[in-house]
Amino acid sequence: MPPQLPLPEPGEPDTSGPLRYLWWLVRCQPWRVLRGSLIGSAWMLGLSVRPYLVARAIDDGLRPGDHRALLWWVAAIVVAGVALAYLGIMRHRTMTFVREDASVRSAAVLLRHLSRVGAVLPRRLAAGEVATVGGVDITHTSAVLTVTGPGVGAVLAYGFVAVVLWSVSPLLALFVLLGVPAVVLVVAPLLRRLERAESVYRQQQGLLTTRAGDIVAGLRVLAGVGGRGLFADRYAARSRTLLAEGYRVGAVNSWIEALTIAVPGLFLAAVVWLAARMAAAGDITIGQLVAVYGYVAVLVVPVWFLLEGGHQLIRGRVAARRIIGVLDVAPDHAAPPAGTGAPVAPPRRPADLHDPATGLTVPAGRLLAVAADDPAAAGALADRLGRFVASDVTWGGVPLAGVPLDDVRSRILVADHDSYLFAGTLREMLSTRAGTGDAEIAAALRTASAEDVVDALPDGLDTPIGARARTLSGGQRQRVRLARALLAEPEVLLLLEPTSAVDAHTEGRIARRLRAARAGRTTVVLTTSPLLLDRADTVAYLADGRVVATGTHVELLARDRGYRALVSRDDVPAGVDGARG
Amino acid sequence: MTGLPVADRTAVRRAARDLIARDRRAVAGMLVLHGAAAVAGLAPPWLLGRIVDEVTAGAGAATVDRLALAIACCVLAQGLLVRYARYAGHRLGERAIARLRERFVSRALDLPVSVVERAGTGDLATRSSVDVTTVGTTVRDVLPVIVIAATQLLLLFGAIFLLHPLLGLVALAGLPSIAAVTRWYLRRARPAYLAEGAATAELTEALTTTAEGARTVEALRLDGDRVAYGRRRIRRVWEARRATLALRSVFFPVVEASYPLPIAAVLLTGGFLLADGTVTLGAVVAAALYLQQAVDPMDQLLQQVEQAQRGLASFARVVGVGQPAPDRAGPAAPAVPEPRGGKAQRLVVRGARYSYGDGPDVLHGIDLEVRPGERLAVVGPSGAGKSTLARLLAGIDAPREGVVSVDGRPVTDLDPAQRRRRIALVTQEHHVFIGSLRDNLAFAAPGATDEQMRAALAAVGADWYEGLPQGLDTPVGDGGRELAAADAQQLALARVVLADPHTLILDEATAALDPTTARRTERSLAAVVTGRTVIAIAHRLNTAHDADRVTVLEDGRITELGSHDELVRAGGAYAALWRSWHGGTGR
Repeated sequence: MPPQLPLPEPGEPDTSGPLRYLWWLVRCQPWRVLRGSLIGSAWMLGLSVRPYLVARAIDDGLRPGDHRALLWWVAAIVVAGVALAYLGIMRHRTMTFVREDASVRSAAVLLRHLSRVGAVLPRRLAAGEVATVGGVDITHTSAVLTVTGPGVGAVLAYGFVAVVLWSVSPLLALFVLLGVPAVVLVVAPLLRRLERAESVYRQQQGLLTTRAGDIVAGLRVLAGVGGRGLFADRYAARSRTLLAEGYRVGAVNSWIEALTIAVPGLFLAAVVWLAARMAAAGDITIGQLVAVYGYVAVLVVPVWFLLEGGHQLIRGRVAARRIIGVLDVAPDHAAPPAGTGAPVAPPRRPADLHDPATGLTVPAGRLLAVAADDPAAAGALADRLGRFVASDVTWGGVPLAGVPLDDVRSRILVADHDSYLFAGTLREMLSTRAGTGDAEIAAALRTASAEDVVDALPDGLDTPIGARARTLSGGQRQRVRLARALLAEPEVLLLLEPTSAVDAHTEGRIARRLRAARAGRTTVVLTTSPLLLDRADTVAYLADGRVVATGTHVELLARDRGYRALVSRDDVPAGVDGARG
Repeated sequence: MTGLPVADRTAVRRAARDLIARDRRAVAGMLVLHGAAAVAGLAPPWLLGRIVDEVTAGAGAATVDRLALAIACCVLAQGLLVRYARYAGHRLGERAIARLRERFVSRALDLPVSVVERAGTGDLATRSSVDVTTVGTTVRDVLPVIVIAATQLLLLFGAIFLLHPLLGLVALAGLPSIAAVTRWYLRRARPAYLAEGAATAELTEALTTTAEGARTVEALRLDGDRVAYGRRRIRRVWEARRATLALRSVFFPVVEASYPLPIAAVLLTGGFLLADGTVTLGAVVAAALYLQQAVDPMDQLLQQVEQAQRGLASFARVVGVGQPAPDRAGPAAPAVPEPRGGKAQRLVVRGARYSYGDGPDVLHGIDLEVRPGERLAVVGPSGAGKSTLARLLAGIDAPREGVVSVDGRPVTDLDPAQRRRRIALVTQEHHVFIGSLRDNLAFAAPGATDEQMRAALAAVGADWYEGLPQGLDTPVGDGGRELAAADAQQLALARVVLADPHTLILDEATAALDPTTARRTERSLAAVVTGRTVIAIAHRLNTAHDADRVTVLEDGRITELGSHDELVRAGGAYAALWRSWHGGTGR
């Protein structure tokens, strides 16, 4: 039966090893796999029917010149062919379903994991790695499941042919039974060598893929400054290195391919030799001699399937290991330091946040602006307050690190100035909370002074926009991000340089509206823009990692020279900056 | 999002020919090896036919031994020939793949930036990973099989024909139905597999973008959304896969049911010919065995036709990357000699209009003359078209109407490399490439020495590089040392110093930098801009205050142009903006 895709729930994978992962993919669909095995086996066994029918046609029809018998056997050959065709397509359909279920399961599990890992992910994994895993490794992994169908059938077909041969001649049967392990023994070490070569090759292929992706990601930079030729050349040089490696892999592969033909072929020759001598001695008939030849030729199919299965298993193991590599990236949720015991309850009502490292207190329900002389310090402060790192921050007196992460994330939002915009319609981009209505969206867009963004789009809120919203201008993207953060309606909102890419006029408007929109709720704006600072209830001036002055913008301007220098930037040389000055 | 184009039949055929053309001799050698291997593979059934005839005639063990040994020898020979044929094929294939992926990257590098932006990088990424790999598999594994199978089939049917022409004729009994269903299938397969490829690309993009935006996913608790989005992609993939499966569900059974037809026909005809005494039993047996043997290559051929289709679909997607008009090529006409002494040049915009795609115009007839050596600030609200103007000035995009020229020649007519040496565009977008710090600098000025690079880094205030363990050799970018946004932007500015252009366009170049670094960078840049024409796109007005001239861009039109003081005196939009900016600081 076709699987119901997408799966309602992909399940929990076994990541304790690549083979266990593969086995998990099997366990998730036992009946379909069983069905695949049965049909696969029936099909594989059906392959040996034709040589039998051909042998009977020769012995009963051709040799005695019995045209009636010949006609019957020939008709049987055609009918058996149709039946085999039916079995063949059912096998293919079932195995496609099996593989597809596995692919989709891997994709769903990966996506779920990638969605849950969170902020640490980019530090642990190269972006190209995920692209390769998603693009190639999922396919390779599910290809392994092919073994469960024709693979099982191959073993059965082998046994069946041996039994039939036994009825012809026990000696021949014995020869086949002993010959099979010999064939496998010859090829197995070669497959191991292939695995090593393949793994190195795939690794390098992955690196090259990452580089191609890297170049694609930097195309805009190259367009501005040039250097495309250099990058093409450098990529070409690496491609050549991979080519040399490909040659080496090819040298091994081609031997294996030749052996998959030669070893069964030699085996066949030996069987024919034995059978022909028996026929010459009159122990078996000519028809049986031809049948034996046919049987062993039929055996080439299961042998091939087993070898191919081995090949897929090797490739799939490498791929499954890489999938596990992604699934093993653990979320690093800045857990409480060891020994602090059970999680503590978060404050029930909005409460002050206090950061001992800087001495900053975020008053609940107020609009606080933080002007930091060092933006790295501002970023680190936001990371601490938003608990993206472990710290001694307290929230209403309780250690933030001890509060369940889900409570933190649902109540405190750190809105980075470069937060990611995912592909989707503008409406999808903005509504991160369930049940966000158009009126709310309109209000948030107004606060972020981003109504023009919607107006400029052909289908308004329903216009699809690509990942990173590259078709929007920098200023538009920033205002969309701000609107999205506002729509999330967090109890505590930390905005990092929310208006650095918009013009002064718009910025002034945003500053005014932001204050009104967040009235009564805790809001922290980390900025050095005078327009935003001027609108805050309180401004904290952060110098050398400590809060050195607190007050209103106007007070601090009058009182603190460092602050004045920071926000008014009087010492900037003439006309060189593109942004401020 | 508009996907990148996919190559049509003609383009695919031409590209395939190009790939093989250089290896013509290797191709011939491989074909000869495969042919020889196929001949060696034909011998055993024929030898078995001989055995049947000899044994029927009452031959002894010695004859049987001799013929059996001959079979073994043929198998060995076939094995060896197959090995070398495949190896030759592998090398050939690897070479073709390498050539293809290199061309892919160089084509991607030639893509107009706007095309890449619209298509999304996921599409390009899938093409470079899945599709290039699929084409690789096709070339390496599928093509040889097709070549081998076709050779074997030709020889097998030829051999039956030699046994008896009538047997040869009836042996073709299965071909009409196979040919008909293959035609039916191939006509539908291509679009179906292309759709499957596109759906797969979107699923891969769902995974990669989720990884890229992992911090945002955590902060905004988007995990549920991402999973739901992925489910929608999975549904699309599944629909596409079922469509292709439906095609195979017709194709495969018809083909398989056709296989026994010629065997039945040969046996039946053989029965009558045998009665006439025109053929031996051995000949009929050999013909039947040949047909049995033909099933395998036929199967492989048809199986691979399907794989080859998939490969072809991927190939079309890979080749398609080169399809849109590449960045304007250099002039075929004689190049204008470089002005001597690095003299600044006159950049003129006349009646320039521009629209993205078929959208409405974002610039409505811009006229602007940039004087050599001047500092021109472009201000205006977000979305007024400032960045678009910057791209036109830098020659990245060509105006839909009107012209942007440097010393009387349209900038887009300049050779891209030459153009970038004259005019550099620095945006707030920065990307640190995988590679060493040196690699990240060298592409702006390939001839630069380490000393010049260090000087350039020092000029932009990037003193952090001195702390790096391996200096210029420190690996940076994805997987290497992570640079802060400010450091990355300084790196970008250092590139400009190395590139040494006459004209510098700064599109909010320091907007992403923190105040301290921005100030440091700006101070260093003061030295860099000396002697150059500078066009600064600004959204903060202090820049404008210090510029020689200010132009105000509103809704795609230049509304004001003049010095800061003139514009403030004029009391227009600029004056209003200036007051709004200054209101806060109380200066």
